[in-house]
Amino acid sequence: MAFIEIRNLVKRYNKVTAVNRIQLDVEKGELLTLLGPSGCGKTTTLRCIAGLEKPEEGDVIIDGKPMISEGFVPPSKRGIGMMFQNYAVWPHMKVYSNIVYGLKLQKISRQSIKEKAKDVVELVGLQGLEERYPGQLSGGQQQRVALARALIRNPKVLLLDEPLSNLDAKLREKMRFEIKSLVKRMGITSVYVTHDQAEAMVISDRIVVMEKGNIVQIGSPHEIYDKPASRFVADFIGAMNFIPGEVVGVNSGTNEVYVRTEFSEKLLCRSIGSDVTTPGQKVYASIRPEDVEVFAEPPQAGDNLFKGVIANKAYLGNFLFLFVNINDTLIRVQAPHQLPQEEGQELYLSLNPEKCIVLPE
Amino acid sequence: MSRGNKLLSSLLWFVIALLVIYPLSILIIESFKVSGTDGSGIQNYLEFFQDTYYLKTFWNTIVLSTMVLLVSTLFGIPLAYILARYRQRGKTIFTALILLPIVLPAYAGVFAFIIFFGKYGTMNLLLMNAGLIEKPLNFIYGFHGLVFIESLHMLPFIVLSLAAGLTSIDPSFEEAAEVEGASGFWRFITITLPLCTPTYLAGAVMVFLWPFTDWLTPLILGQVDFLPSVAYINIAYHFTDTHRKYMGIVAVVVSSIVCITLFLFARWWVEKRKYTGLSKGTTAEGRVIEPGPFLKISSYLYMFFIAALVLLIPIVLGLSAFSRRWVFEPFPTYWTLDNFRVILTESPGLISNSFLFSGIALIFGVVFGLPAAYIIVRTRVPGKDALDFIITLMLAFPGIAIGVSYLLAFWQGIPLATHWIIMPLALFARRLPYFLRIAHASYLQLDVSLEEASEVSGVGKFMTFINISLPLLMKGVLVGVVMFFIMAFQEISTAIFLYRGGWETLPIGIYLNWHRGMEFGISAAMAFLMIVITFILLLIIARIGGGILKAAWGGPGEGK
Ligand SMILES: Nc1ncnc2c1ncn2[C@@H]1O[C@H](COP(=O)(O)OP(=O)(O)OP(=O)(O)O)[C@@H](O)[C@H]1O
Ligand SMILES: [Mg+2]
Repeated sequence: MAFIEIRNLVKRYNKVTAVNRIQLDVEKGELLTLLGPSGCGKTTTLRCIAGLEKPEEGDVIIDGKPMISEGFVPPSKRGIGMMFQNYAVWPHMKVYSNIVYGLKLQKISRQSIKEKAKDVVELVGLQGLEERYPGQLSGGQQQRVALARALIRNPKVLLLDEPLSNLDAKLREKMRFEIKSLVKRMGITSVYVTHDQAEAMVISDRIVVMEKGNIVQIGSPHEIYDKPASRFVADFIGAMNFIPGEVVGVNSGTNEVYVRTEFSEKLLCRSIGSDVTTPGQKVYASIRPEDVEVFAEPPQAGDNLFKGVIANKAYLGNFLFLFVNINDTLIRVQAPHQLPQEEGQELYLSLNPEKCIVLPE
Repeated sequence: MSRGNKLLSSLLWFVIALLVIYPLSILIIESFKVSGTDGSGIQNYLEFFQDTYYLKTFWNTIVLSTMVLLVSTLFGIPLAYILARYRQRGKTIFTALILLPIVLPAYAGVFAFIIFFGKYGTMNLLLMNAGLIEKPLNFIYGFHGLVFIESLHMLPFIVLSLAAGLTSIDPSFEEAAEVEGASGFWRFITITLPLCTPTYLAGAVMVFLWPFTDWLTPLILGQVDFLPSVAYINIAYHFTDTHRKYMGIVAVVVSSIVCITLFLFARWWVEKRKYTGLSKGTTAEGRVIEPGPFLKISSYLYMFFIAALVLLIPIVLGLSAFSRRWVFEPFPTYWTLDNFRVILTESPGLISNSFLFSGIALIFGVVFGLPAAYIIVRTRVPGKDALDFIITLMLAFPGIAIGVSYLLAFWQGIPLATHWIIMPLALFARRLPYFLRIAHASYLQLDVSLEEASEVSGVGKFMTFINISLPLLMKGVLVGVVMFFIMAFQEISTAIFLYRGGWETLPIGIYLNWHRGMEFGISAAMAFLMIVITFILLLIIARIGGGILKAAWGGPGEGK
């Protein structure tokens, strides 16, 4: 049985359904990420787990104990640690008092409170700052206070709502790894909310992609990247070319699918789900820019080989993206530097059949 | 910086120097004069702090301040919590009612409560008629009554400042405590309340200072051993006994110093501790909760209770105003318009004086206040912060200090006090901050680029002010104007020292009537008139759309 089970969760605000019948299991010790665009219901889901919102329907079961169906368990009784987006470090208390606030409410001796505080302060690297007020700390340090406060009671569950969104890019990258290694070391079951796909890819065991209050896909970072369940997921995570077309043939043994597009009668693709199998169905043949091979001269024969003209380019520092026009369809590719890069020049593209997937329209 | 701005600023400084700095310096100089000699020294102060009577007075005042603050805070906390956090019908009307004392003159409340809670007042008679008590209970004569009346009068300051804190602190602070295992009351005590302290303090200091300012309430209740009352008696009744007069002046200066020090300390502390910033993604609306049935009913009862106490004031005064010979009866039996007839026929001057003086003070206020707000908000003229500072300080100055200092400064030195113009001038100086703070606040909200656009199109500064700024500021200015008028209209502490025969205003009339004959009917009718006038003015404010709360207390709402 999973450590956190979310069953049929529904949360509405007036007429807005923020969370719409969500089912989700979080395994013990897992670091799970809720990922999705703004307003998709990530925070609401997290707050329902914390008990800061009362859902209209459904249940949250933590460690086998229902939090809602058998009487609402308030946040203070759920044994969770939480990091808020704005840290919520109390400005009127010193760092030390902030960290031990929750511990003091338990019946623990002063001595052991001190010891625990010392451990956790070292763990997050706040030594020497215990007697400061939060106003005298940098954003990153405040964030560590919030983390220490969330961890000190050894919570069964750690909830993090975009904990890094207020930090600058450099610090954010560093803290990602710190949080991940800490949480993993302590083996705490964690739910992490973010709308930054790169962050989600780096830290998660599994990612839950949400859209408009629904879960659209659950999987490891690899699965989500390689086998997105829908155009929405593929688009949200990384870049993807979507080539509209129609299924013209299916090879059921090998999950090969032939798609007719504007520029090709029979584009060879693979289906990753079982739902794209009937000829005549409208689909997107989808391929990521980095999976398109680019040649200056026509290579030896191969599948899905096309000639195109450079229509546009976008320089992103470490990459040069080209938009190549094949019979009026624009394909975005990642261009190797030694090849022609000027607009109007001709190129040959190979849409690798192994990486070209069909997604339902 | 243009020459015009400098000239304007100098003019404003001239007015401040003449009407604030000069008289207050005279006050201080006088306090050092030694009776019976031409010399001066610190004898008066030494005597003040060695004389057991003055020390006792000083101590009494501090105890009274502490008690008033304590009581109004205890009663204010639940009220502020209900108003800020509970979703409840009729909250607006309750809020307006509960905050009403802020615009009612303190003495109106005193009279009403004497009639209702006095020895043979309505309450005692009702209780005795019901056979619940044998002898009348002493509800208000004494220290406890003083605490009760002053606490009720100052309650709005506490409620407003606490409610401002409760609605503006970031909800996630409380949620974090909830998650950390702190529930209900403990969370409120350890997180919510401490986070409200900065805003609370802004109101609390005004409450604490009130007993250092209010000489009249103790006097009416027969309690004179408080600093401002003693000062008043010494100066007003013993003007020829120079020693007592100087001691009175010392009491005034000591009160003023306490007020200014505490006021500045509170400001400094609030500034240091501002827990600013509602974070993104959170709304104060999120903390508004639907109370359970028990809480809901309790909070309604509580609001009813406070609102009823407040409503007693206009109701009792109204009953008294329209009746005669209301003694030894719980409710009046003989109804008449006599009181009003007496007021209108025998002293019609009271009302017209009140309107005239407040009106002229208002004109001074606008003519001075608008340019002052402009200089303070929009320019970098040197000394503009000092200007702002001095005007704000006037908020903390006891009215009695201004009255006495005007009396001293404009009687012999600059002989303004022989002309009635001194009355509106004094009202203007005393109530200036009320107008300025509201004008100031609305000026801050006016986007400077709107003015710049006009100047870029070739319109001068002055015409820009007339064409662009003033119309946009109009709402705020009008609210400020009406508020100023209300506060000037009921002013007594300063005016009582300066009036001469024929210059009496309505508040002075109320005081004199009570003082001469203990005849409540006429005083009550006058106070009732005053409440009616205040009410009408408040309705005008509500009409303008400023909101009664904002008008009455620029404080918490203003700091945007
Ligand atoms: N207190 C509230 N009252 C009304 N509507 C709300 C409230 N909180 C959230 N919503 C709505 O519920 C939906 C989901 O909000 P939620 O905060 O869960 O989004 P999110 O995925 O966390 O977005 P973000 O990335 O912007 O934080 C949104 O449409 C939002 O407007
Ligand atoms: Mg969110």
